[in-house]
Amino acid sequence: MIEVKNVTKRYGRKKVLNGVTFTARKGEITCLIGVNGVGKTTILKAIMNLLPIDSGEILVNGERPDKHLYDKVSYTPDMLIVPPNLRIGEAMEFMADFYASWNQERAEEILTFFRLNRDDRISELSKGNRAKVNLLLGLALDIDYVLMDEPFSGIDIFTREEIANVFTSHLVEDRGVLITTHEINDIEHLIDRVIILDEGVIIKQFDTEQVREQEGKSVIDVMREVYNR
Amino acid sequence: MKIQFNHREPVYLQVIRYFKEEIARGNLEPGQEIPSRRELANQLKINPNTAQRAYKEMEEEGLIFTAGNMPSRITRDEMVLKRVREELLMEAVQNFIASIRAIDVSLDEALRLVEQNFYGKEGEHND
Repeated sequence: MIEVKNVTKRYGRKKVLNGVTFTARKGEITCLIGVNGVGKTTILKAIMNLLPIDSGEILVNGERPDKHLYDKVSYTPDMLIVPPNLRIGEAMEFMADFYASWNQERAEEILTFFRLNRDDRISELSKGNRAKVNLLLGLALDIDYVLMDEPFSGIDIFTREEIANVFTSHLVEDRGVLITTHEINDIEHLIDRVIILDEGVIIKQFDTEQVREQEGKSVIDVMREVYNR
Repeated sequence: MKIQFNHREPVYLQVIRYFKEEIARGNLEPGQEIPSRRELANQLKINPNTAQRAYKEMEEEGLIFTAGNMPSRITRDEMVLKRVREELLMEAVQNFIASIRAIDVSLDEALRLVEQNFYGKEGEHND
C-alpha cells in the first residue's frame, strides 16, 4: 500500500498540495483526477522522493522512502525517460543496466503486445508509440507499484485503447497502479478508485463500483458535481 | 463478447446480466467453458477486480462452477437455468408494465397491441 498522509507542498507562496491524504493499494488501479492545477504530478514526484514535501508523510508498504524505494515503485513521467536517439532495443538495454528489477522476459512480451519494433529509433516514433515505449520501460520492472503520469494524454483514440488493454492484461498482474489523468472518458470501467483533486486539495475519493451501485452515478457525474460547485 | 455499458450502473451487475441473457438465448450452453477472469476483463475492457466480482457472484448464484484449477463452466443444473430464463422474462414484463402504466394505457389495449405487433409487420420475428 502507498499511503500519502496529510501532505503539504508549497512552491514559493503557492500551496500546490494542501493536506493531501489517500492510499493506493496493490491489485487496484487508482486514478488521480484533476482538471486544474499541478498537484497531480507533484504527488507522484513526492511519492518517488524526487522532491521534498513541506509536511506530512508518505509510506510505501509501511516504510518511509529509502534506497529500496526504486525496487518497489516505478514512475513513468509524461515525457521520455531515455535519450530519444536510442533505438527501442537499446533503451531496453539501458534500463536493464540501471535497474536490478528489470524483467527482460516481460519487456519482450510488452514489446509484442504493443507491436513495437526493437530496431526503431525512438526519436522517429509517433507520439502514441513513444508513449508505449515509455510505458514498456516502466511496466517491465518487477516492482509492486506503477505510477504513470497522464499515460493517455495527447494520443489518438486507437493508441489509447491499446494502452488501456494493458491494464486489463496479465502484464499488470496484481500490482498497484496509480495514474493521473484529466480525462476519464475511455477508462471509466478500468479503474477501481478515483481521487479528485482540485487546487491542491482532495475534494472527493471513492470506489467506482460503489458510487455506481449506491448513488447510481457515473464517475463523470461525480466530477461534474465537484467542478460545478 | 461485447457489452454496451451503462456508466451509471455497477459493471459487475451488467456483466452478470449479460451472462444470463447469453444463457437464456442459448449462446452459452450448459457445461460450456467460459473465459478466465483475466480473459473476460481483457475482452470487455473492464477492471480485472470487477470481472472477479462478477464471477464470484455468479458462482454464489450457482450460475457457473469451477472445479479445482479447471476453467469455470456454465452450470448444468436445469433448475438454475430455468430460473435464469424466468428471471429475465419477469424483468422484461415488469419493465413493460412500468412503461405502459406511465402513459396510462389499459391492459386490454396493451395486450391487443402486443398481439398485433408480436411477429412484426411482415410476420418477421421481432426481438
